[in-house]
Amino acid sequence: MAMASVVLAVYLVGLLLAMAGNTVSGSSTLVTTIKQRLFSPWMGPAWLDLGFDHPLTYGLPEDADHGLEVRRFEREGDPLRLPGDRTGERAARWRRLARRIASAASEETAVPLAAGVGQGAFEAMGEADVSVRAVRWPLEERAAPPQAPRPVKPYEARVRRIDGEIQLIELGGAAKRGELAPVLRDQPAGGDTADEETAP
Amino acid sequence: MSGSPSSPRVADHRPAGLAALGDAWLAFWFTAADPRPLAAVRMLTGLLGLALAASYAADLETWFGPGGMIPPSDSGRTTPTVSLFAVASSSLALKTLFGALVAAFVAVTFGLASRLACPVAAVLWAALLNRGPVLAGPADDCLAVLLWCLAVGPSGVVWSLDRWIGGRRGAPPPAPSPWARVALGLVRVHAVAITAGMLLAQLKGDVWWDGTAAWWLAARSQSRLVDLTGVFRGSEYLMNLVTHAIVGFEILFAGGLWFDATRRLVARAGIVAWPLIGVLAGEPFWGLAMAIFCVPDGWGGDPSGYHR
Repeated sequence: MAMASVVLAVYLVGLLLAMAGNTVSGSSTLVTTIKQRLFSPWMGPAWLDLGFDHPLTYGLPEDADHGLEVRRFEREGDPLRLPGDRTGERAARWRRLARRIASAASEETAVPLAAGVGQGAFEAMGEADVSVRAVRWPLEERAAPPQAPRPVKPYEARVRRIDGEIQLIELGGAAKRGELAPVLRDQPAGGDTADEETAP
Repeated sequence: MSGSPSSPRVADHRPAGLAALGDAWLAFWFTAADPRPLAAVRMLTGLLGLALAASYAADLETWFGPGGMIPPSDSGRTTPTVSLFAVASSSLALKTLFGALVAAFVAVTFGLASRLACPVAAVLWAALLNRGPVLAGPADDCLAVLLWCLAVGPSGVVWSLDRWIGGRRGAPPPAPSPWARVALGLVRVHAVAITAGMLLAQLKGDVWWDGTAAWWLAARSQSRLVDLTGVFRGSEYLMNLVTHAIVGFEILFAGGLWFDATRRLVARAGIVAWPLIGVLAGEPFWGLAMAIFCVPDGWGGDPSGYHR
């Protein structure tokens, strides 16, 4: 019982630090250091390094539904829409991916994820030069008249393969940054989604 | 494990407060418990695992296969973690690993080789989530926690193929187990931790104070399961009530699980309320996962077994 008590106590400390160190508000250097050095190495692989800070919603644009559109770059044709007609948790996983790309303005995650989506869609699109868009269906205002929200485009990038190398060129959106050389700045491509966010 | 918290002591020189704390610790974690609630958690967790695994199955290669959309170095977490699924570089290896995960969930559900199946399912599920953290949602987190809790306790000694096979060989019925208590204690601690984490996160947002959160949950046009926008447009009070009811329930749940007088009531309320909140939030599997956490404390079985 003594050994089991020690193990339980250590785990409970880890649980507490995981919660304190994984909040949207950030955490102190002390908590982060202790957690990262002593607990994350074994709690992370076990998927137990969790903050459980799931607020359900803050009513922010990032809380709206997101999706992905992949098109042949500057060519006609139906886009590949993700999640498209998928439903349930399967669709929710695509929405999380799109949300991460759309909301990663200050992180380094949008570029590799968008490049991955583009690269993964080459075969489905039959072309190695595509545009990847994250689209967002803005949350409807309660006071506004009921109408289907028009999707906006918080992120767009061109992804192509040249000489076996994947290149990403950011075209628009809040998550613009220089990554994955050569990154070229360009005007946003045309489409049926708005360029600017209008969500509350 | 030996001894019992109720064993007579010849001399206890600990300060009274420390002794009471120690006794409470031992009673909470190590009083032998009825394994049936844990078996119920096992079966429900196995079914949840199969459902969540199914949501990966159709797009598995699109995400993680050779040339898939999610790069192995997906930096969705602050501490990058090597995953077994990242090592699976071929389509066959990926499908084999995923097949092993599904088989583990089936074994968990039916209680076949439970002592092995539960930790294997926990390891493989964690590996799958670590392969693509960006795809993981709150239901996945809850499932991981539940699987690790099951890995600790004897969840397959009743209501299982293990028990059926053992019974045919003349094995005696299982006795209450301290390890069942440890596992059930962990289930309760995590139910409270998850609720408290969510509550703290919510209370940082204005929408949970001004009563509009229910609207913003309902306003997700693509993912909502029921459209309550018309109802909430018609009654601001109702929208406020739903918002405050969610927060109020979470407070009662996180606190009420610690008291004998309220535990069973709030746990049973949770079995109903969490799935409803999950439906409103567009996260039905998360709602079901939270309801599974409530099963042991809402248990209606022999009070002398699990409930002190």
